[in-house]
Amino acid sequence: MASITLDNLGKVYPGGTRAVGDVNIDIADGEFIVLVGPSGCGKSTLLRMVAGLESISEGEVRIGDRVVNDVEPADRDIAMVFQNYALYPHMSVRQNLAYGLKNRGTPKAEIERRVKEAAEILQIGPFLDRKPRALSGGQRQRVAMGRAITREPAVFLFDEPLSNLDAKLRVAMRLEIKELQKRLRTTSIYVTHDQLEAMTLADRLVVLNGGRIEQIGTPLDVYRRPASTFVASFIGSPAMNLLDAKAVPHLPGTAHAGTIGIRPEDLSLAEDGLIEMNVMAVEELGAQRLVHGRTSGEAITIALPSDAPLGDTLKLGFDRKNLHLFSRDSGARID
Amino acid sequence: MIENRPGLTFLAHLVLIAGVLIVALPVWVAFVASTRGATDFMSGTIPMWPGPHLIENYSRMLDTGLSTSGTPPVGLMMFNSLVMALSIAIGKIAISMLSAFAIVYFRFPFRGLAFWCIFITLMLPVEVRIVPSFQVVAGLGLLNSYAGLSLPLIASATATFLFRQVFLTIPDELTEAARIDGAGPMKFFRDILLPLSRTNMAALFVILFIYGWNQYLWPLLITTDAQYYTIVAGIKRMADVVDGLPQWHLVMATAILAMLPPVAVVIGMQRLFVKGLVETEK
Amino acid sequence: MKRTIFNNQLLPWLLLAPQLAITFIFFIWPAGQAIRQSFLREDAFGINTSFAGLNNFQGLLGNAQYLNSMKVTVIFAVSVTVLSMGVALLLAVAVDRMLRSSRVYTTLLVWPYAVAPAVAGILWWFIFNPTVGIMPYILDVIGYDWNHNRSKTDAMILVVIASAWKQISYNFLFFVAGLQAIPASLREAAAIDGAGPVRRFFDITFPLLSPTTFFLLVVNIVYAMFETFAVIDSTTAGGPAQATNIMVYKVYFDGFIGQNLGSSAAQSVILMLIVIALTVIQFRWVEKKVEY
Repeated sequence: MASITLDNLGKVYPGGTRAVGDVNIDIADGEFIVLVGPSGCGKSTLLRMVAGLESISEGEVRIGDRVVNDVEPADRDIAMVFQNYALYPHMSVRQNLAYGLKNRGTPKAEIERRVKEAAEILQIGPFLDRKPRALSGGQRQRVAMGRAITREPAVFLFDEPLSNLDAKLRVAMRLEIKELQKRLRTTSIYVTHDQLEAMTLADRLVVLNGGRIEQIGTPLDVYRRPASTFVASFIGSPAMNLLDAKAVPHLPGTAHAGTIGIRPEDLSLAEDGLIEMNVMAVEELGAQRLVHGRTSGEAITIALPSDAPLGDTLKLGFDRKNLHLFSRDSGARID
Repeated sequence: MIENRPGLTFLAHLVLIAGVLIVALPVWVAFVASTRGATDFMSGTIPMWPGPHLIENYSRMLDTGLSTSGTPPVGLMMFNSLVMALSIAIGKIAISMLSAFAIVYFRFPFRGLAFWCIFITLMLPVEVRIVPSFQVVAGLGLLNSYAGLSLPLIASATATFLFRQVFLTIPDELTEAARIDGAGPMKFFRDILLPLSRTNMAALFVILFIYGWNQYLWPLLITTDAQYYTIVAGIKRMADVVDGLPQWHLVMATAILAMLPPVAVVIGMQRLFVKGLVETEK
Repeated sequence: MKRTIFNNQLLPWLLLAPQLAITFIFFIWPAGQAIRQSFLREDAFGINTSFAGLNNFQGLLGNAQYLNSMKVTVIFAVSVTVLSMGVALLLAVAVDRMLRSSRVYTTLLVWPYAVAPAVAGILWWFIFNPTVGIMPYILDVIGYDWNHNRSKTDAMILVVIASAWKQISYNFLFFVAGLQAIPASLREAAAIDGAGPVRRFFDITFPLLSPTTFFLLVVNIVYAMFETFAVIDSTTAGGPAQATNIMVYKVYFDGFIGQNLGSSAAQSVILMLIVIALTVIQFRWVEKKVEY
């Protein structure tokens, strides 16, 4: 068990391209941190720097009290779950789980105990003597987690571990990972581009964009008070409506803002609504319907109950406290 | 096949059967000759069916050989060929895997130069550097030795490229997982790369065994001591008779024995053979 | 390029050491020697050597025997290539029509690959032997007097057949693979467009097979030029009257039997240049293949 500190961490590639910069995160012992952002935002690079698979060009990584910048991955007391599982194809599941321990000179009896324990936790006991290719995607995923668990490391690192699974399995595994982490209380860093996965798993979210941190906070914090237009549009589905303040001139108290944000679910039909929307398309999701349209030339989406009346134009109202205001220049939140 | 045309299919069968027969003809003739007695060739009409001397001819060649030609028993020559073929195949695979590992998994100064040095061997077949190569081997005292037969043929750009290709297709994540699992480079090589390249090694072995067994010019150059003759190079010495006719039945028995091991390997391991052939040409 | 590498500096050199040592001692050094010797003149006893400039090369290019050897090599290489590729393509197209029997035919056609060129030479030498061979016997019936010990043409035909025979299986395998790589839907589309089997072959199959054909062309030329030494040595030994003295055989003969080191070395250098050119062509082609 350990805390992790990323101190002014940065990565510049030999060619001069910057992948990551000015990253400061304090991760508490036992915390589940999710790094989330679009592809190319530097989240995987960051994770790999913690793992020791990528060299560190600026700043420090500390695991516990130890600076690990120059420590081999094997000696950082971490375990990693890869996107494509990275199971050794020629070894049985049992050998896959045991390989790291064997290399460390762990006594045989101890290896056996840990493998058995991990197999029990993940319910992969029946497959222990199979090769990875004889397993389904979900089972392979479990073995990959099992390999991490048997190590009993101070830190779990997850690199988009669910993105090779189909949608249904992904939801199930997401829950399992959450439960498992709660139970083992192992400090975890989890990388994903899926904001829903990030919201459901994280104790705290780190939203990354262009190699820099946009916001750190609990999922609800980030959802309720996005720190920038980027976060506002990235977290939450369907995405928040971001309107040019000039496009909706009737709103009082928004004169200093460049962009006004409002979530589709915070809009409602109202006879005296300030926003008039021309309906262009309707998506039926069952429990609700998403109505897409335009107001003063800007795209806008509203989430309505599935029995709400529809028309060519709708008048929309909202609660003033649900408005998010962002600066015109930087896109940062204004309170 | 798109439309059903029995005529065309019949023609195709005909072509193939003719092809199989033409391909097999010389071997059949050689086999027939190898079962005959010495007098059967005097009459001038060539027998087309096997005679009764099969066991007699073959056992004579294997045990005592054709001493008039200065060649040792065929059994010994086959053993020499086997040693040469195995050393070349195993040696090439071993040093090529190590070089490919170095080139793919390490970054070091002059890596490109090392790569080019290996590449250049492709352009220097033994046939174009016969005399100086002979001089080098003679200078090292390797004439008439198994080392001289195999060592100079062990360098291989083709095999190195093949393993480089194989290693490049092994996902990075596997290496990373191994590093996190505490495997150093040699442990990774032994525990991960070696087992994962097993089929490629087997396929390459088939090709290289045939290559080594069939060497002709090189053993011809560097063996003057009959104890080190290989069968493929020795057979010519048997057929070369200054006066009189070659002992056809015995020469042909030797020819059959010379082709038996590599042909058996190709037919017995056809799948690996085809894989090896296609891969080495990539 | 690998993302993950090991950071050792000494280890890669240790791993490369055996390969580089052998490459240097048995390949690069002798090749260097050949190049050096090609510029030197050595007296008959090997005692005095002097710088000869391009004399050895000029001597070769003015030498009727060497020019003859070049001509013989071209005729030989082209004949072997055309014969073995032609037969192989015919057989491959025939096998491509087969469903169940293709494996059996393939097995029966590929094994000559494993026969050593020297042994292939001996086999055909026996079949065409003027006294006991069956081919002269048959040819005699139709009134042709075969004797490769006297007739230059007969000798050339003999070495071409022996060399091509061995190469058919190799070409066959690659042609079959090439044919299988052509999507059946293309030929089906052509069939629907009203093209018969022969037309389809020339309009669709053969053009799409051209990468394979080109690749095999290079491989066969390399084979005919450099790997047929054993065939020549075990059958005609370059004769009669230089009729089958291909360049590779002449290097050996002049260097080893004739002890003319300067000339032999110059011939080696010319051959090296040819191999380099062929290798470059081959690799260009490989690059193109990657793009497909």
